Amino acid sequence: MKFEMFDAKKIIGDVVAAEADLNQSIVVVSTDSAPRSGLGEFIAKYPDRYYELGIMEQAGIGVAAGLATTGKTPVFCAPAPFTTARPFEMFKIDIGYMRQNVKVIGRNCGFNYSDLGPTHFGLEDIALVRLIPGVTILAPIDASQLKGAMLAMLRHKGPVYLRISTAPLPKIFDDADFEIGKGIIVREGSDVAVITTGEISCNVFEAAEVLAARGISAMVIAMPTVAPIDEELIIKAARQTGRIVTVEEHYVVGGLGSAVCEVCAKSLPVPVRRLGVPMEFLSAGQYMDLIEYCKLDVNGITESIMDFVNHS
Amino acid sequence: MKTDEIKALERIAVRCRQNVLRMIRANGSGHLGPAYSCIDIVTALYFHGMNIDPKNPKKEDRDIFILSAGHKGMAQYAVLAEAGFFDKGILDTFGHFKSPLPGHPDMHKLPGIEASTGSLGHGLNLACGVALGKRQDGLNSRVFVIIGDGELAEGSNWEAAAIAAYYRLDNLVVFIDNNGLQISGRTKDVMSFEPIAAHFEGFGWATRQIRGNDMAEIVAAIDAVPFEKGKPNLIVANTIKGKGFSKAEDQVGYHYWHPKAEEMALAEKELEDELVGMRA
Repeated sequence: MKFEMFDAKKIIGDVVAAEADLNQSIVVVSTDSAPRSGLGEFIAKYPDRYYELGIMEQAGIGVAAGLATTGKTPVFCAPAPFTTARPFEMFKIDIGYMRQNVKVIGRNCGFNYSDLGPTHFGLEDIALVRLIPGVTILAPIDASQLKGAMLAMLRHKGPVYLRISTAPLPKIFDDADFEIGKGIIVREGSDVAVITTGEISCNVFEAAEVLAARGISAMVIAMPTVAPIDEELIIKAARQTGRIVTVEEHYVVGGLGSAVCEVCAKSLPVPVRRLGVPMEFLSAGQYMDLIEYCKLDVNGITESIMDFVNHS
Repeated sequence: MKTDEIKALERIAVRCRQNVLRMIRANGSGHLGPAYSCIDIVTALYFHGMNIDPKNPKKEDRDIFILSAGHKGMAQYAVLAEAGFFDKGILDTFGHFKSPLPGHPDMHKLPGIEASTGSLGHGLNLACGVALGKRQDGLNSRVFVIIGDGELAEGSNWEAAAIAAYYRLDNLVVFIDNNGLQISGRTKDVMSFEPIAAHFEGFGWATRQIRGNDMAEIVAAIDAVPFEKGKPNLIVANTIKGKGFSKAEDQVGYHYWHPKAEEMALAEKELEDELVGMRA
């Protein structure tokens, strides 16, 4: 499949700059991170709404929350581990417990910084933020969804965490209103339901084609909101296919797979296989080598689903 | 010679200390030492220094108080109650399930609480955000913060120290409640941040040292803000932990107090006597 590719940072920057024209409350908090997050246009247009702090992410979250108490809508974008794991307690208390309208973007999530190694991998961000009550977690799948998710995030009242890689992003979906909390049935199927989130979903879409050619009918669900998760759709998928595979560029613990298991355990227990990153500190390397090691490439996903369907 | 206002503030501070005992009685225990060391400062802020309205606690141009050392929360509750932010009967629910007065303040539960604190090292970064936001809105609001001396060991404070100076937040006023004690002993023995004022001056703050349980000195310091145009303000308030109860003063054992009945009675009597003495 060939898609037109887009620059994720440009989408982030364009949406923030355009929305800031309409919404004076939008400010940008930066930890030496905003200019490289596509926010240059905003900074040039609104220098008095741009707060550069230098490399201090605990303060980044705290200052953003403080600004939010005065009615501002702060946007804080930096690499995923440094917006979540590093300042986790500030995220929990200052944004979560204080219920502040802060928009945190964890960019370069997953293995995007593949050559930089485990300090820069963003593989536990969903798990961490999912532990903070009341925070919406978005993981858009393509360029259209990123644009829609950015807009929905800025217009939503309440804390939001959006994770995105910054690799070139295909445009798969039509531009449409992005609805927080709603999964999308990308493909109907009856043998297995594959639920996926983030850009790795593109590999799932291709794997579903391969599976179809091999006679396996996979229902495919894109889940760009991980919290609050679309429970209704998960239960529908479980009922329709009787088994679920989850796919994410995140540790297999705590992310989308765990969220789906929690829903199934509560409402409709079915076998679930979670595909993602094993609980290891992996080597740095080329992106595709890491993805293949984790069996998150099209072939790996296809084989894992085949195996699951044949043995469950 | 004390002015009438200082005498009045001192009387209010005693009544606030009585409110603290009332809360400890309701819960059976509480952070007596930390509340008592800073309560004169909190009293001076709400009854002298800050632009606030207990009947309109969210008014836009108000000054903001953030208790970074959230475990001193009883001091703030006591003063808010005395100032009329809420009915004093609520003091009797301190620490109870679903009370608006948890052991550490929750901004969504009680009018007058501007931030939810308790984990140390959060308040100053929040305050920088508030000060920036107020300035962006063209408001003259000031932001007052109390940080414990032991709390200075949290590195996040020093991130905020740099931010406040870089952004020239002269609308930010920080009191260090320098009572010299923390759970494990003397702050200077556990992890010293002396000389505190010099460290902040190094970041670009304007500083003062006061006796933090001396109402006249507290008021004079508040009135002198901003100490220097374009610089954040630091007041090192040398206080006595547990000040106001003879047995607790400068005693680390009263950081968190489970009073026996006789001890509570003694603490109450000392405050009664102090009030009587003030009337004389």
